[in-house]
Amino acid sequence: MVNPKEFKHEIESLLSQGYKVEFLGKNFDQIVTLLTETKAEKMYKWVSEVVERKIEPIIVGSKKQYKDWAVSELLTFRYPFSIENTEYRILFVKVKNSIYIEFHLGDHKYYDKVRKNLELT
Amino acid sequence: MIIYNPKNETILKERIIEAEDILNQIPAKYCFITGSFLYKENYNDIDVFVISRTKRKLEVEHKKVKITVIDFNDLYSLFYHSISKSCISKNILPTRPLKVTISDYWQVINEAVPTLLNQKDKYHKDVRSLILYTEYFKTGAVLDTFQLTQNINSFKNYTEIINYVKTEVPKIINQQAKASYVKRFFYTQAGYYRELLGYKAQNLLYQLTHDIARSINHG
Repeated sequence: MVNPKEFKHEIESLLSQGYKVEFLGKNFDQIVTLLTETKAEKMYKWVSEVVERKIEPIIVGSKKQYKDWAVSELLTFRYPFSIENTEYRILFVKVKNSIYIEFHLGDHKYYDKVRKNLELT
Repeated sequence: MIIYNPKNETILKERIIEAEDILNQIPAKYCFITGSFLYKENYNDIDVFVISRTKRKLEVEHKKVKITVIDFNDLYSLFYHSISKSCISKNILPTRPLKVTISDYWQVINEAVPTLLNQKDKYHKDVRSLILYTEYFKTGAVLDTFQLTQNINSFKNYTEIINYVKTEVPKIINQQAKASYVKRFFYTQAGYYRELLGYKAQNLLYQLTHDIARSINHG
């Protein structure tokens, strides 16, 4: 069982940025507690690889506004995983050549809501 | 119960009974089962789709059942036309005309390329839309779930799929869209990728936009 506070702290430490990334998701903490240590370790490794630019982002060429930015200014990194028979996704959002702003974690329904705002298919 | 099977593919008899039992547990008029459960002895999930406006969580007493709720607005999509083509349904399914654009297709490519490069040879689940759209624009055919799986399995690895994209996409767009639209749309898209050429995916997409524009110029 993974502690949500420690999980968030670990990710923040990997980013080493002044801006506080937002952890978002309807049942974020509850899902994190369902993770095994191995699954959490894989996620930390994935975050490190995102920072090292080893993971390919999705960028959507749209002028639509998303919070303080245009959608086209955002890079989205997607990480799918499953626990038992339920599929979840992480969407990690970065401003182009700048800070990481959001770390979403949720089930299919939550993902559907976020992806529409970010204009993903 | 209705069996949609236009290509006369072999559906396992025992699965028809099981499918009926699962569908009867779902409190919705329009629900159906498609995918490998109908055709293969070994399967991972039972893909159940429910067309509904419900916000409630639907559950069935079967560990392998995966329920996806689709909205009535989705009935125009290539996705719905594909999944409902060969399936077992509780009732006659509603039909709507297919509405699909080159811009939708590019959005699919735009996401499929980075996903493919990240997933490498674990791509099978993630390229379904890419192959579905490409084959639709290339041949006009809407592949059902069985045909789509067969098509995906014909690729040996992810580099073969990347090469397929590089070869087919410029030709398809050249044939399907007006030159003036293509120039305007793809020059704009290229601008978004230009600043991110350090990433392999955006580099490839940038090259692709150029190949598309070039094929139009030489069209």
